[in-house]
Parts: sequence; C-alpha cells; structure tokens
Amino acid sequence: MPGGLAQSVDAAAPHAAGRLEIKGLGVRYPGMREGVFAIWDVSLTLEPGTIVGLAGESGCGKSTTAKAAIGFCQGNEAISGASLLGETDLLALPPSDRRRLWGNRVSYVSQSASLALNPSLTVGRQLAQPLRRHLGLKGAALARRQIELFELVQIPNPKEALKRYPFQFSGGQQQRVALAIALCCKPDVLILDEPTTGLDVTTQARISAVLRRIVDETRIAVLYVSHDLALLGNLSDRLAIMYAGQIVEEGPTAAVVRSPRHPYTKILLGLSPRLDDPRLVSGIPGIPPPGVVLAQCAFSPRCPYAESACRVTRLALERIDADRTVRCMRAEELKSTAPVPVTMSKASTVGNKSLLIVDQLELTYRRATTKSVDKVSFRLREGERLGIVGESGSGKSSILKMIVGLVEPTEGYMRLGNVRLDGLAVDRPKALCRDIQLIFQNPDASLNPRHTIRQILTRPLIAFRHELPARDREVVIRDGLERVRLPASVIDRMPGDLSGGQRQRVAIARAFLAQPRLLLCDEVTSALDVSVQATVLQMIAELSAESGVAVILVSHDLALVRTMADRTIVMREGRIVEQQDSAALFVDPQSDYTRELIAAIPKLHAA
Amino acid sequence: MSAIALEEARAPRRRPAWLAMLSSRDGRFGFSLIIAMLALIVLGPFLAPYAPTEIRLAPANQGPSVRHWLGTDHLGRDVLSRFLWGGRSIISIPIIAISITYATGGLLSLVTSYKGGWFDLVVARIFEFLMSLPSLLKILLLVAAFGPSTSVLIIAIAISNMPGSSRVVRGAVLSQAGVDYVQAAQARGESALSVVIFEILPNILGPIAADFSLRITWGIISLSTLSFLGLGVQPPQPDWGLMIQEGRSSLQQAPLVAIVPAIGIACLSVGFNLAADAIVRHLGDGQAEGSR
Repeated sequence: MPGGLAQSVDAAAPHAAGRLEIKGLGVRYPGMREGVFAIWDVSLTLEPGTIVGLAGESGCGKSTTAKAAIGFCQGNEAISGASLLGETDLLALPPSDRRRLWGNRVSYVSQSASLALNPSLTVGRQLAQPLRRHLGLKGAALARRQIELFELVQIPNPKEALKRYPFQFSGGQQQRVALAIALCCKPDVLILDEPTTGLDVTTQARISAVLRRIVDETRIAVLYVSHDLALLGNLSDRLAIMYAGQIVEEGPTAAVVRSPRHPYTKILLGLSPRLDDPRLVSGIPGIPPPGVVLAQCAFSPRCPYAESACRVTRLALERIDADRTVRCMRAEELKSTAPVPVTMSKASTVGNKSLLIVDQLELTYRRATTKSVDKVSFRLREGERLGIVGESGSGKSSILKMIVGLVEPTEGYMRLGNVRLDGLAVDRPKALCRDIQLIFQNPDASLNPRHTIRQILTRPLIAFRHELPARDREVVIRDGLERVRLPASVIDRMPGDLSGGQRQRVAIARAFLAQPRLLLCDEVTSALDVSVQATVLQMIAELSAESGVAVILVSHDLALVRTMADRTIVMREGRIVEQQDSAALFVDPQSDYTRELIAAIPKLHAA
Repeated sequence: MSAIALEEARAPRRRPAWLAMLSSRDGRFGFSLIIAMLALIVLGPFLAPYAPTEIRLAPANQGPSVRHWLGTDHLGRDVLSRFLWGGRSIISIPIIAISITYATGGLLSLVTSYKGGWFDLVVARIFEFLMSLPSLLKILLLVAAFGPSTSVLIIAIAISNMPGSSRVVRGAVLSQAGVDYVQAAQARGESALSVVIFEILPNILGPIAADFSLRITWGIISLSTLSFLGLGVQPPQPDWGLMIQEGRSSLQQAPLVAIVPAIGIACLSVGFNLAADAIVRHLGDGQAEGSR
C-alpha cells in the first residue's frame, strides 16, 4: 500500500496548486421576491492543503453556498459573483466547459452516499467511469489506480471490494467510496456537503482522520460543510459561520473557537452538548429569517447583546485581526464576553420503588441470523432518567419497541409496576398503553401529515382519557400546547406548516397528554438543529420532572445522554457492555468500548 | 425557561386540495370538461326536441336540417335527441360500478393489506388470479351468463375493476404502514380498523382518487364497447355506444349518427383522464409537503 500511495501523491503534485476563490457569491431561487436572496455576498478562499469549515443551522444557506461555488444549479436559480479556480471563473464558463471541470478538477460529495452511489453498478465500475472519461485510463493502469484510491480512503481488501455493490458496504464505507470517486481525478478542490451527518461518532472520527491525511498528502483544497461545530472545530483549518445566508464570522479555527467574536458564534459554541460540562443548555429563542436580511443585523432579533442601532444599520464584514473578519457592530466591545450558555439544572426526582423491570430480554427478527437484542436486563426506578447509548444497529431502539409493544420479544420478561408487559400494544389493556408513551426520532414521520395539530392531540385523549368529557378536550389541548410553549394559533395547522423543532414539541405534547408514567425517547433530537435540540431536551426534562415521569433516553450522542440521564447503559451488538451512573461512566469508563466511544467524540474545548 | 420564546408558525395556511388541483391548465380543462359533459347529460333530456325513441320522424339517414340539427338515423329518429338522452347510462353505470368496486374490494384490501397474515395472502392471490384474465373477457363472460341488464352490467364492470383497484390500495397502504405515525397509533393500542381509517386513509386519498377517476374512464370505454358489441345497453334505448354501432352501417350516408356520440365519449374520457392527472400531481405534492 505505501508504494501505491506515494505514487498517487507524486502524480497529484503537478496541478494541485489550484486554489478556489469565491467572491461575492449570491443566489436567488426563482419565485423569491424582488431583492430577496438565499445567500448574499459570500466570499471564501480555499487554499491548497487546507480544510475550510462552513457551519450554521439548517436553512442558513451553507449547502446552497457549496453548490453555487462550483456553479452547480439544481433548478434555474440565479447565481451572481465569481468563483475563481486559478484564473478561470467557474461561474462565467458555459455549462459544457463547467461540466468538464466537475469530477476532474473540482469534486463534490453529498450528504447521503447511499443515494449518490448507483445501487445497480459495482463500486468498481462507478469508480472506473470518471477515470476513463477524464483521464483516459484503460486496462491494468485503470485497475492499479482503482486499488490505489481504495487504499487512499482505507477500504479494507480493495481488490475484492471493487467487485461489490454499494449496499454491501456499511454507511461509513459507502461515504468513503464516494470520497474515493470524488478524488479519483486528483482534483484541486473538494466540496463536502455534510459528509458524515447521520453516521456514528466512531465512523465519523475514522472518516475525518482519512480526510485529514488525504489533505496533507495531496494538498487538495477542501470546503467542509457541516452543522456540527465540534467536528469542524477539530478538523478544519479555517472556520466560517453562516447565518441567514451571510457569513457572520470567519477566521482560523483555533482562534474562532477560543475567542468567538460574533454573538451567534458565542451562543452556538455554548450550545453543543459537552462531555466535560454536563449541564443542560437552553436553545436560542426565535427562529432564523428565511432569507438574507440586508437592512439590519440579521441576528439582532435573537441576539442577547442587540442594541437599537443593530436593528437599523446595514452591516459589512469587518476585519478585526490580520486574518479574521466578523459581521457585528459590537464585536470590539464584546471581545471579552465569554461564551456563557444559558443553563438550567437537570433536577430529576428519583424514587425508591422500581417502575420498570426488564429481565433477560431477547429479540431475533424474522429471517435474521443474529440476535438484535441479547439478554438485556435492567431496572428503572420511578422518576429516574436512564440513557441508552450505542452505535446504530446496537439494538437500543429495539428495546424501546418491545417495551411499548410494537415488537414482541423472542425471550424474556418485562414488568411495569406490578403488571407484566406481554404481547403487542393492541392486545394490552388500554391503561398500560397509556402508562408508556414513545416519542419518535423524526417528527416529520411520527405526526400524521394529513391531520391538523388538533386532530393529532385529540387522539391520545380519545384513546386514554375517558374521564374527560368531549367538550373539555379543547381546553386540555390548548393547555398542552401552552406547556410546550407553542402558540394556540398552530392548532388548525398541519405538521407540514411547522418547523422541525415545533413539530417535535407537538409530539412531546401528545406524549404528555396521555399522562404517562414512563416516557421513551428514541433519538428525539437527532433530526433537529443544535439550536433547537437544546430546547426540546430542556422541555422533556422540565415536563418529566414536573410530573415525576421516568424517562428512557436512547441516543448515539454520549454528550447529550450525559446532560439528561441519571444512569447510562452502553450497548453494542445487542448486548449491554456497561451500566453505570452517568457521572461515573464518563469519568471512569470500565469497558474498552465505552472508552473508545468517549474518545471518538469531537471535543471543542480540548484542554 | 423564559429563554424559549414563542415562535410564530412560519408558513401561510395551505390552499385546500380542490383549489390546488384547479391551478394547472390541464387540471382546469379536465374538470371543466367533466362539468360541461355532466351538465349536458343531466339537462339534455329537457332540451331534446323529440322523443329519443320515436321512429320515422323524417326520412332515414338524412343530413342536418333546420328541423333535425344533426339529421336522422337509419330508423328516421332525431340524432340530436338521441345524443342528448344517450349519455345517461354511459356516465351513471361506470360511476356506480366503480363506487361499488371501492366500497367492497377497495375496503377489503385496505384492511387486509394492513393486517397481513394468511387472510391477506388469500385475498391477494384471488385478486391476482382475476387479474390474469383480460378485463373485457371477464365482463363478457358475466354478461353472457346473466344477460345484458343494467344491474348485470354494473356488477360486471365492478368486478372486473376489483383486482386493479385492490392492487393500488394495497401498494398505497404498504407504503404507509411502516411510517412512524402509524406506529404511534399502534403504540396507543388502537385497533386495525381505526388505524386504517383515521391514520392511513387520509394519506392515501391521492392515489385512490386518481385511480377512481381513471377507472371511470375505462368503465365508460368498456361499456361503449359492450354496447357496440350488442351486449350492453339494449335497443331501442338511446346510448352513445349503441348509437355508434347503429350508425356504423350508414357511416357514408349519415356520418354524424356515429361521430357525434363518439365525440361525447372521447370528451368524457379525456376529462376524467386529465382530472386524474391533476389529482395525482396535487395530492401527491401535498403529501411531500406534509412530510417535509
């Protein structure tokens, strides 16, 4: 392998000197009102051998920037500005010339490799296509280059792997295959659009390491788009923060993370759940504007430091240091303000009586050869919060499904209070269904898209609250909405009219309207933005503490579990690896696997 | 906790589905065509200048004249009057038949395909077997066995459409059955019937409405085919399919006798087809929007 690698690096050297200079990029989608932009005046320079991170909430325009920078249009959006690759302006080129550069000198990797790879072609053939087309490779030279590339992205056993189809690879490997395809013509510039979102922390860490090595060796210039600030804080050389279609802060990553100057950056940095500081943080109030705001500071409505001048002044990116820029008129004054997140205690009131007993639980799905859940036993006391962590496929969600009665266990015994939990939910007494409520990962799917919020919230009342006369339901629903801090005006809306965070809050309201004793949360924040995640967690913590409900929180995010859970279970391949008090687990993990998981988490404030 | 501000719901209230369907040009055209044809069929009998079955009003196979705007047929009947009367059976029989299809076969597969199990297997296999027979053959068999009365025609068309409609329903139900909102209802311990009716049905109305509309088109065409073959509506009743058959022999002397009802059938079919397209497009969109 080392020989092949060295060769590929040498061969890449000749034209790896290209840098991409994005200047005053603006994008308008058709149908936007006159003078409204999706992104405006975005300038970034991608130097060879560096990774530039672009971070922000979803909808802030970071993906739009990534695509527009290489002149990639999906519809007929209008792109203005310039994007210089060496001397060539990509945006001024006729489409046919631009296409010749794509995949050749400029490469793009999208979020879901599983969708970007053709499912009915072997990865070898997909890798061969650009090599033939752009480099004219054939026969033995082609095969050699293919193997080199797979070695570069560290796919084990490259020769065999080339003959396989995409579905025969894991999610992380698929993403590395996509990376190999992107790198195959030794491009000068690589654009990565959320390449590791949805992957496990350990997989993510592996891909980041591979990427760093490739950048160091091939001197490629990389734009890495992600919402994960902790990840970019560790991986990138320069960091740009985007808000409402404009860059609000840009600079060397270490400097931006150590002393953020824009209030938005300060708050975002404070929001990421941290292992070394298990406090529950609250979200940023309000939601970002849908497009670029030019007449005032776009962040001012949500900014704790905003003054009246912020709301009337048109702001430009100001240079504050030799190589740092920020778009805030109070940046100089706020220099010394530390990134202090708004926090609250996580007080849960754990009782002494056990609420849920799970004993030797096993699950084997039909036609599966391995057990999804293998001899899992644990106990949950009343009002306790239990976290279950593990990579995807570790069986953590299956446990919740068995408790709630969506799946029948193959073996084992479960008890809630004094009642045995048997069979599917349909066959259980209603009172038992009422006691156990489940909140799903993705509120887009768990709320019926054809029902109004009123209909959605009425269902648990009809099913469980028979004591409640029909005429009082409206009052109870409105009260439920108020408790999750949604305005009463949403009651006649459809889920599609609400934002992701709002939808998840409707789902929370639905669960609490049943007045359960046990609340199951299945990755409830993983489909949400960082700024909203905190709000949702806080809401669950508050409401469950108020009513003394026990919570089981399933997540792949260790830091998040630590902020919420009194006790944590670590799972791997269906088995419990470790079970401890949260505080102890993170300080003194007993198993190697837990240590590995903790080590894989990108840490922002590494000491 | 005061840090969490009230967020305003972002999107404006969405347009009702029926308005959205009228937003495209062919959607508008399709629905207008259906409405115009329905108006013609409902009001026609009141406007008809003569009784549709009255023979020898004038010499046979005459061209258009002041007294007979569309001329007369081979029995000297007024073509305009027969045309204005003749749309009733061709529109009502398919609509009733397809409604029966959905009320029985559609509902059955709605529940069985959600529940699964051996009963679902049996129902699915029976419908698959029926599907392997050509649709016209099924109708012809039934009509030949029981005679060409209106009720037999309705039942024959209803049965011949069952396999196809059940397949549409089945596919739509299965696409939703694994989605979390269905699981949420299951976790509430709700019965299969209430999950299917309250949760799933509103989400699959789009494909069902489109299929319903398309099947009416096919019903119209198969009914005209039957009438043309002499197995549908029986003479002397006025019916567009029958009129084409009767006018066929005198196509050279009096072409309007066959052409006018043919245009009527074409307009109805095109109208329902375009409407089906519009329904698919807009209810389909709505679903995507809802799950955004």
